[in-house]
Amino acid sequence: MESNFYYALGHDLRRRMIKIIGDNEFSSFTSLKKELKVSTGTIYHHLDALSQLIEQGKDKKYYLTELGKHAYDSLQDNIESIISSDFSKKEFNSPILKSLMFLTPKKIINYEEGYKIYTVIFSIGLLILGLIFCNLNDLFPILFFFTNIFQSFQNTNVSLQIFFNVFFIINFLLYYFMNEIICRLGYKKNENSIKFLLSFSLIFYPTIIYLAIHYLFKELDLLDYSVISILDNILMIIFQVWALWLLTYNLIVNKHLKIENALIISLLIHYSGFSIILALTI
Amino acid sequence: MNVYVRKNKYRECYMNIKSIFDYRLLGLTGSILLIISQFFSWFSGYSLMERYIIATSVDISNAFLYLFPLISGSICLIATLLIYFKLEYRINSVIINFVGFGFFLIFIFELIPQEIEYITNAGIGFYMSIAGAILIFFHNLNILLTREKSKEGS
Repeated sequence: MESNFYYALGHDLRRRMIKIIGDNEFSSFTSLKKELKVSTGTIYHHLDALSQLIEQGKDKKYYLTELGKHAYDSLQDNIESIISSDFSKKEFNSPILKSLMFLTPKKIINYEEGYKIYTVIFSIGLLILGLIFCNLNDLFPILFFFTNIFQSFQNTNVSLQIFFNVFFIINFLLYYFMNEIICRLGYKKNENSIKFLLSFSLIFYPTIIYLAIHYLFKELDLLDYSVISILDNILMIIFQVWALWLLTYNLIVNKHLKIENALIISLLIHYSGFSIILALTI
Repeated sequence: MNVYVRKNKYRECYMNIKSIFDYRLLGLTGSILLIISQFFSWFSGYSLMERYIIATSVDISNAFLYLFPLISGSICLIATLLIYFKLEYRINSVIINFVGFGFFLIFIFELIPQEIEYITNAGIGFYMSIAGAILIFFHNLNILLTREKSKEGS
């Protein structure tokens, strides 16, 4: 039963069939053919493969079975797209991954064509917010880390000042290209570069929340209290992990990487960011 | 031919080592090293625990930073023990390790710039913590890569 479930979800066309029927509660053969734009034979072949998930009613329309509804729910949560074939579903039901999935803006990162504009607006908005909060805090981002070591260079000349003022966007582009290059060279994943770019700034939104909290602490002079300073550090760790998860999710859905490979990329880039910032500080 | 035989020998040797040492030992050793580094001297002959005790007499909240390697090691230990008991929770373990390791990174980031002058005279505790952190890093990589290998094999 379970292997059939995964087999059925292993093909893009079959996933789309489940989605069409699930969205409309039922579907006729004609509307399936119209939406999928494939031959009659292909549809019959896949309907046959989906026999445990889709059934034909007395009115000749196609309906989802109980297992089909479960598959549809999973597709809605985008969970199946990130579970590799032998990846334990039990693991995804753990509180940590469940809460991380809950905090993931799935529909914006893995957007459909019609929703592209919302993702673009959201991404630009986040970049502007990041820029503002970085400047308000006098912090410069290096990947997911923040430092104030460039503060002394800021007043040297105008062009350097502008460069440091837009450092958040430079960091965003640098981070994007690092990921893109690793995906292309290491995993031969050349697809969806634009989609990946458009949704890339979303991985920074936990760090922007952190910057907002940090600004609040700073403005209220709370950072002078050591407890708040420690809390600020702990918050940074938590928001960094959240951002790393968003990066992992983005790599999975847009670059079609397995979760393990996406985590390896996140891990390597994150720690190289730390090494850079430590070297600069020293 | 010689190269082929040598390659096979290396492979055999690697497989033997792998059969003796469970790969999860990396994480376990790393986190234990991080925890015990707390009790050995770092810089200026004091252990972090001693520095914590000294700092608590001045400002208890400021002293908390000196406990970060201990916290980091403990979180990483929990993450490693998680996959000892439930092997299927590998991704969860990596994410918990991210959190644990974050504490160590913050600590290093705060401490190293302050103590950079004494780094050449660093005590055993410092080296133990660095070794522990490297082991945890490779443990994480190993968890993710081992899964990949086993999948390719099947």
